[in-house]
This record gives sequence, C-alpha cells and structure tokens, in this order.
Amino acid sequence: MTGISGARIGMVLGTEDVTPTVFWFAVSAGASVQLDDLVVVETLKPDGRPVRFYGLVDNVRKRHEGVTFESDVEDVVAGILPASVSYAARVLVTRVDPENFIPPQPGDTVRHARGDDLKMALSADKMGQASFPGGLLADGQPLPLNFRFVNGESGGHINISGISGVATKTSYALFLLHSIFRSGVMDRVAQESGGRMAGSSGGRAIIFNVKGEDLLFLDKPNSKVVKKEAEASANKGFAGDRYALLGLPMTPFRDTQFLAPPRAGAAGSAIVPHTDQRSEGVTPFVFTLREFCANRLLQYVFSDAGSSLNLGFVIGNIEEKLFRLAGTQTGGGTGLKVDDWQVDLSETPPEDLEFGDLGGVNLRTFEQLISYIEFKLLEDRDGEGDPKWVLKQAPGTLRAFTRRLRGVQKHLTPLIRGDLSEAEANRYRPNLLSGAQLSVVDIHNLSGPAQMFVVGVLLRQVFDHKEKYGRQDTVFVVLDELNKYAPRDDGSPIKDILLEIAERGRSLGIILIGAQQTASEVERRIVSNAAIRVVGRLDLAEAERPEYRFLPQSFRARAGILQPGTMLVSQPDVPNPVLVNYPFPAWATRGDEVDDLAGRNVVEVGDDWLR
Amino acid sequence: MRIRLDPWPVDTQDGQLTLKPFAGLVFNAETEVWAAIAPREIPSRLRRVLVVDGKPRMEARLLLDDEAGGLSLAGFGAFVAGAVDLCPHGTRQAELLEVAAQRVLAYSSESAATVRAERLSPRNPHTGRLEYTPHVFSGSGLEGAKSKVQRLMLDAEAELSHRLASALPLDDSDPNALPDTLVLQDGPVRIGGAGRAVLGYVKTLHTDYLGADRIGLLGTLKPGERTPVLRFRVGDQGGEQGSEGREQRFTWYVRLCDPPFYQHPLAGVMRLEMHAPEDSDFVPRGVLDIANLSGRLLCKLASQPHKDARAPQNLIPTAALEQAMGRAMGSAELVTRRIRSHLARELGHVALEGAVA
Repeated sequence: MTGISGARIGMVLGTEDVTPTVFWFAVSAGASVQLDDLVVVETLKPDGRPVRFYGLVDNVRKRHEGVTFESDVEDVVAGILPASVSYAARVLVTRVDPENFIPPQPGDTVRHARGDDLKMALSADKMGQASFPGGLLADGQPLPLNFRFVNGESGGHINISGISGVATKTSYALFLLHSIFRSGVMDRVAQESGGRMAGSSGGRAIIFNVKGEDLLFLDKPNSKVVKKEAEASANKGFAGDRYALLGLPMTPFRDTQFLAPPRAGAAGSAIVPHTDQRSEGVTPFVFTLREFCANRLLQYVFSDAGSSLNLGFVIGNIEEKLFRLAGTQTGGGTGLKVDDWQVDLSETPPEDLEFGDLGGVNLRTFEQLISYIEFKLLEDRDGEGDPKWVLKQAPGTLRAFTRRLRGVQKHLTPLIRGDLSEAEANRYRPNLLSGAQLSVVDIHNLSGPAQMFVVGVLLRQVFDHKEKYGRQDTVFVVLDELNKYAPRDDGSPIKDILLEIAERGRSLGIILIGAQQTASEVERRIVSNAAIRVVGRLDLAEAERPEYRFLPQSFRARAGILQPGTMLVSQPDVPNPVLVNYPFPAWATRGDEVDDLAGRNVVEVGDDWLR
Repeated sequence: MRIRLDPWPVDTQDGQLTLKPFAGLVFNAETEVWAAIAPREIPSRLRRVLVVDGKPRMEARLLLDDEAGGLSLAGFGAFVAGAVDLCPHGTRQAELLEVAAQRVLAYSSESAATVRAERLSPRNPHTGRLEYTPHVFSGSGLEGAKSKVQRLMLDAEAELSHRLASALPLDDSDPNALPDTLVLQDGPVRIGGAGRAVLGYVKTLHTDYLGADRIGLLGTLKPGERTPVLRFRVGDQGGEQGSEGREQRFTWYVRLCDPPFYQHPLAGVMRLEMHAPEDSDFVPRGVLDIANLSGRLLCKLASQPHKDARAPQNLIPTAALEQAMGRAMGSAELVTRRIRSHLARELGHVALEGAVA
C-alpha cells in the first residue's frame, strides 16, 4: 500500500450522488483545483480496510451558496448580503484499489495524487520498465505511456485526430518518436526481453512528409526552442524546461535520411531531388522499370481498381504478364527487353525507341511500357490484341485500363525509370530499413496518384521485409491524412496494405502512427486497432461522432477549445483520457527555424537558397 | 372610492392599514421645525454595521403527567440569534456572525412532575447534538412554552446587540469617541440596553406617535429622507404620575423607497429607535450622527419586492440571516422525528409495563 503524499484539497460532497466512477468534492478554502488534476480518496469499509479511488478532475464549478436570486451577486459583491462561494470539482475515477467498487463516503478527504499515488492513478506501476513520457500533465509531472501498448507486445499503433494546423498532429507524432527513441524505453524493454529484441539500435521510423517541406529539417536544431521553452516554463510555473521535466534531451533527431522524388525531366536526364528549400542531404529515389514489373507494383498505380470487377481482373492479369516478362530478362540493366512488339503496327509509336539485337525493343521509360501494353491489348493481330494478354475481356474494359494508365503516365514517368545503370539504380533505390534510423520520405510535391503509388509501394516493401524477418526490430510508420489513403467508403490497394498493417502489423513489429483530421472518415478497422488514441483540437460536430466515444462527454466538449501543444491521450491502462502538453520541437520544422549558428553560417545557408 | 393595498402579505400577523394613537407624550428633541431632513453621507469613521436578528421555533408540545395524575404543559423549542457583519462602504464581503442554535425544554412552574432533562433530551451521536436545556416558565398557559422560547430569543438578541455595538458617548465633548460599530436590531430597542450604538428598526407601524398634525409628513418623505428626532417614554400612558413609563427613547422615521401609488401611504416607511439619556432634553451628537446616516444606510440595505414579500423594510442582510438561522436550527421534520423516536425508546417501555400489569 502506498502512502498518501499530496495536500488535502477537499471533501467528497454528500449533496451530489457519490458513485464508484464519478463523484464531486467540495474544494477546501485556499486550495486550487483545476481540470486534469489527479486526485486520490481513501475510504474505509465497515471492516476497517481502506479502498482508494484514483481519478482525475474533469469539471470544476463555483457558485454562490445560500442566495436565491441571480441578481443577488451584486449585493454580495457590494458587501451587503452574506454568501459564501461554493467551489466544487467532479472526479472521474480511473482506478480503484483494491477493486472494491463501493462509493466513497461523503466527507472523505480528497488529496492531490503525488509520487506513488500518481503512479497508481496513471497505472504506471503496471507499466514498470516499459513506461515512457507521453507529455506533461497540467502540474508538470510526466504522463507515463506503456510502450508494450505501442510496440505490439500487448497492443500497437497510435492514432491521432485533430483539425489541421491547430491540433499539431504531426508535431505530437514526432514528439512521441523522439520520446520513444531517446527515453531509453526501447533498450529497457529489449533488455527485459532477454535479447530477443534489438532496442533503439534496431528501431526504425519512416515518416511520409505530405505537407510543405516541414519535415525536411528534423536533423537541424530549432533556433526558437530555448526561448519558447523558457517562456512556457515561466508561464506554467515549472521548475525547469519541459524537456528536462520529461527526462528527454533537447536535441534534434539524429541518424536521419531524407528521400525525395526526382524532378521531372526528359528521359536520361540527371536525377535531382524535387525539393525547394533543402537540397543538400536529400537523396532522390526512383524505381526501375524492371522492379516495377518484377515486384508487381502495377496495382498501386490504380487507386480505384475496386470500382469494377473486370478492371481488377485486367490489372491482375497484366501484372502477372509483366512479372513473367521481368522473369525472362537476361543480363543487367533496368529496362525491359521485349521482342514481340511490332512497332510499325502501333497507332502512336514512341519516338525514342531503342532497338536491341534481333529486332527486339528495349523499354526504357514508363511511357514506352504503356505503349507496349496498349499494343499487346488493343493493336496486335489487327486490333484484337494478344489473346494471352486480353483473356477475352471486352475491348471497352481494356480501353478503360489503358486510359487510366495514360492518365497517370505523366505523374509516374519521373519515378519509374528504365534508363539507369545498375549502379545508379542501387544508389537511388529507397532504402528504408537498413539506412538511417529515421527516414523522411517527402511526397508533398507529388500529385495524388503518385503519392498513392509511393506510399503503397514503400509500405508493401516494409511489410514484405518484416514478414520475412519477424518483429524484433520495430518499425514505426508515420502517415498523416489517413482519410485520404484509407477512406472509410472506397477501396484502394493502399487501404489494403494499411489494413494489413493495422491488423497484422503489430505482430510483425510494424507500428502505424496514423493521423487524420477526422477519424470518422477513416476505415474503422484502422482506427479501432490503435491502442493509443490521441485527440487534439476537434470540430465539435466531429467530436460527437461514435469514433470519439472513448472520450467522456466533458472531454469531447473540451476538444473544441484545445490549444496547439495540448492533446488528450487515451491509453488502455488508464480508462479515462488525460490532457497533456508537450514541448516545442527541438528540431526545425521549417527552413527559417533552422538554427543557423549551429554549425553553419549565414553565407552557407544563403548558398543553399541560391543554388 | 379609492382603494389602497396593505404592503404586507396577508399571512403576516398584523396588517398595516390603521394606526393606534400613542397614549403618552411625544416631544420635539432635535428641532421645532417639523420638516423632512435630507440624508447625509455615511461617515468613513463608521467601519462596521451589524444587523442582528433572531428566530424562535417550537419543535414539539408536551403534556407531562406526574404519578398523582396531575397534568402540566411543556415544549421543546429552539431559537437562534445571529448577526451579519458588513462594511457600510462595501469594502469587504458581508459575513455571518455567531449563528448558532440553542435548544430549550420549557416547562411550567406548576408542574408537579420532576423534569429530568437528560431523560427527555434526545441525543444522537451520529448526527450531532440535539440537547435541550430546561427552562421553567410561570403559569400553565398553552402558549407558555412558546413565549418562553420567544423571551429567551429576545434576551439573546439584546445581549448580542449590546455586546457587539460600540459604546455611545452620551457626552458631546469628545468627537473622537463617536462609534465605529453600529448595530441594527430588529424591533424596538430593549429595556436596559442604554449606552450602546444600537439602532432598533420597526418594520411594521402599529402605533401613531405623531398625531394628526404631524403624520402628514411621512407621506411626503422622499427615499432616504427622515423626520426630525422625537423623544418619548416607553409605556407612557399619559396623564397621571407613575404611569409615565420606564425609559426615554429617541425616535424618527425614514422612507426607504417610493411606494407604488396603489399602496398604503406609509409603505416603505420605517420607524427607528434609540435609547435616550434620562436627564437631558437635547439630542446627543452620537444619536444625531446615526440619525443622519440612517437614511443612506437603510436605503442601501433595502430589498426588492420581487425578492422579498416584505420589501423594502425586510433588509437584504436580514433575509440572508433568517435563511442561515433556519438552517442552523436544522430540518424541523428531522428534529421532530428524532424527538418521537427518542421518546418512544426512552419512555415507551413504561407504558408497556403498565399495560402488562
């Protein structure tokens, strides 16, 4: 049994119902109680044994006591009418120890939960070595999160909801990553597992950057963090900066790599990353034409394959054909050699075809691949197509298929190249699982179909890799705008892979840290599989949807007024969500936040901008 | 025909439709000019105003019978006297002072039965004390117990007023000795309380101290204005020696609000009363001071008709005090239930034994 350490702040009220899950207490004179304060109450059973109730304050109110009329307030303030102010707070019980669900007794003393009581209130005693800081409570104490509910051992996945811009979902996801990697929790849990896990050295994170170039500076210190943290701790009356309170270093991410798609250009042009603010340290990534076929990536080109059964059939069939074609390739190179393309029969033969030996054609661009497929489906044999490719599908379906391919051709041409040497292909192949600990994949410059393609392909690669090698090294995937990639109502190949990650990923060590503006528009199974759910500022209408039922009513109302930097965090160990704030990022989140003086001077930065 | 409305609600004990003339003599004390006097500011010297009131309650009537078969009356009652402490300048919050109930077992002096308080007083260790102090009253009237409780309450009120108020210098030579604490006490001031800054206020006018030639002024008073101070003797029956009453009093009238046209012309008029020294015929400076500030002070404390049926005379602090006193005495229903169960437990077996025998 732990000792009660906090100061007495009030007494359980007898004029409101006292229940084992919710009760009110009268706040003592001189005490100050605010929302989210954690409190403890001890009551004695008739046999003399104590029962403790741990909970958090979810409502506070004051009113004049003993006056009848609302206008009496003027007389009270004028000093004519004697009245006292009644100050009461409502507590949502988070834990009863031992589990005797009796109500507390009116008149029982309420105290602030501190020290051991705080750990009990937040179930930190159950977490043991697996707890890592998930932010600061209102009084400056860190909120422990259970890593076993993050890494897939007991549960997995984190889901963050909130309005764009105000809810700062990405910032909180990054803070959680920072906390996971730098608090040492991965190493502690790995140690406890007896060597079956690799700890933070084996942990990886993949972040898809979907908005601006916000995440391309995570390895740079933030020039504002020291000032912002000093302000924040002065405002809140904390003893030190919030990083120190959380036990985390105030440093940017280390061991990072930045991947960006190449700029569009003519075939054979140089490959340079398509970024505007940062160019050094960013690696462009491309897929080779041969890999495209060999790895069955065609399905990720189509975001609406489910709209027609026949179309899905054609895609599957062509994918299979391309896979076989890739299997017959001999020799090096990244293109595809085909020997059955009678170019002179094509309606619109590509201009820069390269003819190989024996009249074969070397496909070196995505456009040529499409032309070849068009030929096989629609033009071969006087317009009937190659029967093995057509498989008796109606010409209308085939045309729909090629029309869609032509539609995305412009977007995918820079990404899928067949004109690279093998050395180049190796250099520019996205390397998410053996490169740096933190990989940022910048896809914000890509068009919608290309974003879908990149996310789908990379997630599939990660998933396939983990299926082969098992879960010992945890991979965190941070993906914003889940409602776009896994919409509730429509299907897409990316939704399938995200669903697989959500449902099976936790046993493979792939953890999805997903975020979206509105959880109600995301596939339900993805949201419901997240063990830890976080809510920032919400639209009040959105907050009333069933996806947010895990928030008590008072919290749903509060979700409408949350400020940037505060989140409601719900985890399986604690039945009620807890409000936390988290520190200002120690890493730059914009080009102009980069701390110029940390290693580089202004001229160098200027050079970067001019280049 | 003109119709006027009695300002008091119908369940108030006496209405205020007619006034009974005062039998004794009333003298001009302040001035010979019978005209309204405008209110003055409350001097900053006055730091505290205490509004004192009391409340009696009968909780049970008892019939005691002794072994010889004689019957007598008794009763359980409770009373409370308390005060509201406020600053007339509004510099601090008003507070309740000494609001604590006392319980009384009032029994007739003619009772032959020996009253053993501890057998009659119900106690309950779980919910606090409910212990009745025995007090004897003379006579055997049905209302004896009730008036005993009332008497005790009035005494407690008078004691509280006397204790809380500043001393009133009846000597005019020292201006610094003027009071800084004034007590407003419900009803006329009590016999024997002279020398203190206690101001009695009479909410309901029953007696006409002014006579036909003077009473017209009351109808023309503006809110806050007062009449000049008068002097009379309490209990003066007029005429012969020996019937001239016991104590000298100062009195004046103040209007608290503009009455609605349909009400009694004296609605909103309050009579105020203070002790007067026996041997002088002038108004001491302290009394004059209080008379001057009384208009402003009482207008400030006057309540609104929609909040209090006895507005404006039932002052705002008094209404709050009455509520607090009611609470201090506890729920009447609960108390009666406990008395019943106590008597059943303590005395019930006697009846049973008698029945068996």
